[in-house]
Amino acid sequence: MDFLVSSFAAALRLIVSFSPDVVDAVRTSLSVSAGATVCAAVFGVPAGLAVGLSGSRWKGVAVTGLNTLMAAPTVVVGLLVYGFLSRQGPLGALGLLFTPTAIVIGGTLLASPIVANYMLASVRGADPRILPTALTLGAGPVRAAATLVGEIRFGVFAAVIAGFGRVVAEVGVAMMLGGNIRGYTRTMTTAIALETSKGEFSFGMALGIVLMTVALIVNLFLSLLQRR
Amino acid sequence: MTELYRLRSVTMRYGSNVAVDIDSLAIDSGRLYTLTGANGAGKSTLLGILAFLTPPTSGEVFYGGERIDWKNDIVRLRRRKVTLLHQSPYLFGGTVFRNVAYGLSARGIGGDAVASAVDRALRTVALEGFRDRDARELSGGEAQRVAMARALALAPEVLLLDEPLANIDRETAGLLEAVIASLPSRGTTVVMTTHDPDHPARLSGGSIVLEGGKVAHADL
Repeated sequence: MDFLVSSFAAALRLIVSFSPDVVDAVRTSLSVSAGATVCAAVFGVPAGLAVGLSGSRWKGVAVTGLNTLMAAPTVVVGLLVYGFLSRQGPLGALGLLFTPTAIVIGGTLLASPIVANYMLASVRGADPRILPTALTLGAGPVRAAATLVGEIRFGVFAAVIAGFGRVVAEVGVAMMLGGNIRGYTRTMTTAIALETSKGEFSFGMALGIVLMTVALIVNLFLSLLQRR
Repeated sequence: MTELYRLRSVTMRYGSNVAVDIDSLAIDSGRLYTLTGANGAGKSTLLGILAFLTPPTSGEVFYGGERIDWKNDIVRLRRRKVTLLHQSPYLFGGTVFRNVAYGLSARGIGGDAVASAVDRALRTVALEGFRDRDARELSGGEAQRVAMARALALAPEVLLLDEPLANIDRETAGLLEAVIASLPSRGTTVVMTTHDPDHPARLSGGSIVLEGGKVAHADL
């Protein structure tokens, strides 16, 4: 028990003293997660909207596909992107492997199905009168869809926040595609994994506390939106 | 009177259920029609077809002599001539002004023209001073009047009303009935579903009775 208490105290000292390694990991985590979330929103929101509004007989297949992608293990996504970005891969010439951009690409693939699924749920739960009302008032399909998005905007925010939560907490993609390079691609999660394996438990705990704080803030925000 | 709508062999099926099955029906411009029938008779489904929102399963719909091609973009232009007001209208989030101006903005109309059209429409339904109110905080009757103002602001060729006088107080119903009755004199064709047996005589227009999706009686 003493070990945990002393580690916790050391972790708090690292946070309060703004340890450069902690600050770097937090900064990298937040920046790649924000980048991946924005990209996931760009892909996921229209995808969820399109599937939700589709009357196609293939809609069930699309929904199953999105659900499957949502459950994709992070290491599998990391492996797939690694194959594309590695030197022998089709995008190897871009030199993106072991850069923050690679983590953003992997994070985008992880978060997009989540954003799309949350979006799909929001569209399904939307008032069925919204689209007919917009259409009968003269809106074209694009404007009517935009009106629908505006009316369910809290669901859209929730979708985006859920995507951010997925990316900021994952370790597989960041480790495989970022390479855990100190001060460059080392995120909170990869730093926790590395430092704990080296016996630096208090450092891992410090980042764990920050990560949990971020998760708490994200979930509080999400609850706030859902209550509206 | 000129013929505005003509329906020929129009059916609407939901699986094995036939919601609408009309051999022939004509609706003239500038008149008011009441559409009556029991629940499930197909009234709302027929309004959806007349509003160009729901393509029928089979059959032909003509508007102004032109056959409607439901897969063609032109149906969207036709839709702009017709406005459907639902029994329980949906008001968008935001102000009353935003709601009433919505259709005008969708048509690319802006500036003072929108403001004056909105004010005129709100005046017609006796809601002057409501333009900056939150639409979601209105009473049921006020919401119904805002929805009516939103439709009137567009000055549509056809106004389709799905039980517009149900579930509102007598005073509001009287006001809206007077507004509806005045529309044909301004050139607007009105088709209004109702369960009130007095409406056809009181509104002195044509009458269409649906039974099981079929036209059981038409006094056109």
